[in-house]
Amino acid sequence: MKERKIIQFSIILYWTTFWGLSVLDKIIPAVQKNWVGKDFFALFVKFFESLGIKDPLYATIALGLISTIEILNFVCYLFAIINFSRGNTSLTEKWFYNGILSSVVLFILFSIGDQVFGDRFQLLEHGVFWMILIASWALFKFASDPENRSVNLKFSKSIKLVLLSGIILTVLTSISIFKFSNETFSNALTPVQGKEIADGIYKFDFPFLADRIVLENTISSFKKENPQLKLTYIYTGPNELNSKKKTHILLYLFTE
Amino acid sequence: MTTLENKNTFNSTTLFRFGILLYWSLFWLINSLDKMIGGSQFLWVGKDRFAQFQRFFASASWENPIITNIALIFVSALEIFAFLFFTGALIHLYKRNEDSSRSWFIVGISFTLATFSIFAIGDHIFGDRLELLEHTLFWFITLFSWVAFVHSDKFLNVHNYVLPKKQMTASLLSITVIAMVTHFSIIKHKNEAYHERKDGINYALKGDDFYKFSFPFLAGSTSFENTLIDFKQNNPKKRIIEIYTLPNELRKQKADGLIIYILAEDKK
Repeated sequence: MKERKIIQFSIILYWTTFWGLSVLDKIIPAVQKNWVGKDFFALFVKFFESLGIKDPLYATIALGLISTIEILNFVCYLFAIINFSRGNTSLTEKWFYNGILSSVVLFILFSIGDQVFGDRFQLLEHGVFWMILIASWALFKFASDPENRSVNLKFSKSIKLVLLSGIILTVLTSISIFKFSNETFSNALTPVQGKEIADGIYKFDFPFLADRIVLENTISSFKKENPQLKLTYIYTGPNELNSKKKTHILLYLFTE
Repeated sequence: MTTLENKNTFNSTTLFRFGILLYWSLFWLINSLDKMIGGSQFLWVGKDRFAQFQRFFASASWENPIITNIALIFVSALEIFAFLFFTGALIHLYKRNEDSSRSWFIVGISFTLATFSIFAIGDHIFGDRLELLEHTLFWFITLFSWVAFVHSDKFLNVHNYVLPKKQMTASLLSITVIAMVTHFSIIKHKNEAYHERKDGINYALKGDDFYKFSFPFLAGSTSFENTLIDFKQNNPKKRIIEIYTLPNELRKQKADGLIIYILAEDKK
């Protein structure tokens, strides 16, 4: 297989999947079983309300317009990948170019929206995506290998060694993953044990797997274990107090 | 002379390619190690991928940890093979076997592109747009690495690395002086401020039973807890009824660290 083909296929496949899933995310509204996605309708409604436009019709029209362009993008990339698999280079390039063009237009629209709605982080995000799209085109078209080199790998001794090492390392990693999972999965349910740091103040260091169920179990268990104490206040330790990346969440219970 | 120039050109390209291969080899080696180690340990914090994946899958109603384990193993296998092929490419390059190095490199690149593409699919399903941006950037960097590797011989032809003696002396002197000033400043700050990491802080009374605590940037949870202990000891007749954390929006941009307010009342 040619190196250039691998790179071009990776680029088209990535953008086909990207836009296909973006369209699917619009078709599947809000959080469903097997799909979380992003609630773009809620996002758009909030953006328009911040402008003083409370009628949800405008958010619906805007979302419809965006979805249409996303569908256009997806179809362009899909046809590019179909033509690529048929070996039709000229048509692949034409469809891919059209896909890039409409994607770039979409990110320009997003960036205009970000500036109007004052969301600078999204502006950065969309700016980066816009740049990557343009660079993808440049890589696809102009940075391809002039030698049109093939991947020259034989099933040699060193490849066999890599396969063997890869399998051994994967097995070792799997053992470690299963061991770690068995040891820590209980953290998703088990109440956290508190530590009294001052008279009537208890500290709870929650593990990374903990969610609201652990919080509820922790408080319930604390009340059962300390029936003589009256819970007066719960304080969540702000991020600034956490050791960077190490602590998930700190919770303080105040009692009397 | 011609021979010397050619040799230098070859070296500059090889060094550049060596840098690319070393980066990706280490990148995937450390990622694989992170999966093997698991959670936070002494001398290794890493990222608890099991917790992250489990939370992602649980949010899509796939709560059985076996799904998380299988997904993690699959991703780890891709990362391990990416690491092995990049390392193989590095060894071939070291042995001046450039053709083999490039073949191993493209396989490593393919594994890397596949990994980031799969991550991006996951980001769509689990609705994590920030991670989608992160993985798309890495995907692009991978593609760019391939281009830089393949075409480095065209833009890297530095023929002479030797710098003028006068400028070398001046630069070394500048480095020494600036480094001394910087190190002195760092050590001075460490001596003056490190106690802030754990020490409790004093409050400012902002109204009846309304206390303000401005924490320094270095303060951690121990400082917060010591502050509460000090407050309770200094005000034995008071009970805390609420702690309010000043939200970021009300802080003076980056100049303010953590600020909390305590509302108290007399004990009955």
